[in-house]
Amino acid sequence: MSHPILTVDKAAVHFASRGGFLRKAGPALKAVDGVTLSILPGETLGLVGESGCGKSTLANAILGLVPLAGGSITVAGREVRSDDRESLRAIRSDAQMVFQDPALSLNPRLSVGAAIGEPLLVRGLAKGAALRDRVAVLLKSVGLEADHATRFPHAFSGGQRQRIVIARALALQPKIVICDEPVSALDVSVRAQILNLLVDLQRDTGMSYLFVSHDLSVVRHIADRVAVMYLGRIVEIATMAVLFAKPRHPYSQALLLAAPEPDPARQRAKTRRILDGELPSAANLPPGCAFNTRCPIATDICRRDAPLLTARTDGAMVACHHAEE
Amino acid sequence: MTRPEPAGGPVLEIEQLRLEIEGAAVVDGLSLSVRKGEIVALVGESGCGKSLSAFAVLRLLPDAVTLAGGRILLEGRDLASLDLAAMAAVRGRDASIIFQEPTASLDPLMPVGDQIAEALTAHGMAPARVAMQRAREMLVSIGISDPDRRLAQYPFELSGGMCQRIMIAIALICGPRLLIADEPTTALDVTIQAQILHLIRELVTARSTAVLLITHDMGVVADMADRVVVMYAGRVAEAATAEAIFKAPKHPYTALLLASIPHAALTPKSRLATIEGTVPRPSSHGAGCRFASRCPLVEDRCRREAPPLIDHGAGQEAGHEAACWRSHEVGMLGATT
Repeated sequence: MSHPILTVDKAAVHFASRGGFLRKAGPALKAVDGVTLSILPGETLGLVGESGCGKSTLANAILGLVPLAGGSITVAGREVRSDDRESLRAIRSDAQMVFQDPALSLNPRLSVGAAIGEPLLVRGLAKGAALRDRVAVLLKSVGLEADHATRFPHAFSGGQRQRIVIARALALQPKIVICDEPVSALDVSVRAQILNLLVDLQRDTGMSYLFVSHDLSVVRHIADRVAVMYLGRIVEIATMAVLFAKPRHPYSQALLLAAPEPDPARQRAKTRRILDGELPSAANLPPGCAFNTRCPIATDICRRDAPLLTARTDGAMVACHHAEE
Repeated sequence: MTRPEPAGGPVLEIEQLRLEIEGAAVVDGLSLSVRKGEIVALVGESGCGKSLSAFAVLRLLPDAVTLAGGRILLEGRDLASLDLAAMAAVRGRDASIIFQEPTASLDPLMPVGDQIAEALTAHGMAPARVAMQRAREMLVSIGISDPDRRLAQYPFELSGGMCQRIMIAIALICGPRLLIADEPTTALDVTIQAQILHLIRELVTARSTAVLLITHDMGVVADMADRVVVMYAGRVAEAATAEAIFKAPKHPYTALLLASIPHAALTPKSRLATIEGTVPRPSSHGAGCRFASRCPLVEDRCRREAPPLIDHGAGQEAGHEAACWRSHEVGMLGATT
């Protein structure tokens, strides 16, 4: 069995609540609270959950953009240390990122060719004609034209800009790309183009993806395995087929039921068990299982003890005292 | 859950609406109707004109957009010809709107209870004290626990989902016949979206409110809509019942749009249908079909002559309108992609 490209071991990210004039500093906000997962070469792990569940913070921690309060993260055998510029530089050649809004990810004053070529240039990997050739190849690999290199980001549509961002991410031939809501800002027809592109690129290069999304239909299409996050913790992690056929955690079940399907017959036949209430504040988590305030099957033990992520016979891992086998 | 078949007469009738920006038509000949108790979804991608059309109904258009033609009949009365004072009396009383960003739609400096009550007092429908009592009853009816505490809170103290509930309370407290919902759940999480959609459905069913739902999310359409109007580049491409649109689209744009959405029946990582090219600019529209430059079924006639919106349904399927010269071949499109 091959070694994982990415290993996240009991990672924790805390944000200090800052005190102010006449105000005491509150308890730290546990945005990511002991997450363990790994991704194999060529694999896509979908990471789903609602706003504030910590999925983007985890993605940022993997890239060393926020410091860990505990645990460790390893990319291609190197530990990610957010306070060590040299190690981050090394990690960036293995792990790259694609964010939600391509307009914000590109410098408007940098030509497309300069943006894509920059990672190669600063590392001294290519220059002059060789750099131009390499940029042309990258542009073609994402479905753009070589002569687009001289234009600036404003001349492109949202979908084309996301292609440019992807080309830049591919410049160093990374082993894993962290995609944080890469298609959420795009119209559906353009979204399909970018999803097709990501699938094709993975087939051609064998790289891995961590695919962070709130959209379950997209994750179901692209992911091999899926991790469901709630308030900083993973509540369930399973292969795509197992999770969608048999979600075990009550939160996973609610999430799948709440996502409307583009098919009136199926959608209207669904048993509607609408989840009550809203996400508690991550700065003030309930004791025990963080989901107990909204859970339809919570009992006393759920309000007392946090359930551990435990393996089931089909390989799924579930953190629930009452989930079925 | 099945909703009773809407049986009422038309509440809203839009006829040949034309909106222009600097002389270029951004909405061109939009006609649709919404009956009492009916939910009609107006769908399309960014820039197709769906939100502008909705704003035009309440005359909330940005300054750059002019209402250049057409009629907007609310129970027979043409809103397009009303003066500003008469229009102000219509908004909130006869027809209301809720927006995508509930936190941006509320006044940050006013407790939400006052904002709900103001909808009544502004139209002279209740004195202040009674209005606050009615606001409290409204919160109870939309399932908000602890209504007295909520009435006194400011928007910043509430979550996005709670703010959208307050917006719905403001929109419905005067008992309007028409509710326009412009992407009402796009900014919300999926479990909160389910709560809000459920709430809208319950309220409009109980009150027989006509709803014009603006959305880009075909999942929301499948969940909510009785009928669907699909817009492309300012024109109606197709209009039919929700069942018919999803089962057998008759315009290539609708067919490709539906095929581009990942769904349960697809093989994971299989190729999704795509629509090549980009939406043409309003200033560059020619005489032909506006989808011609991106359409896999395009032929010469499509580039010369814009297809009219005509009923392609027969018998039970009557009322399935599409604007396409080759709409009988659209079925094959789904099979090949």
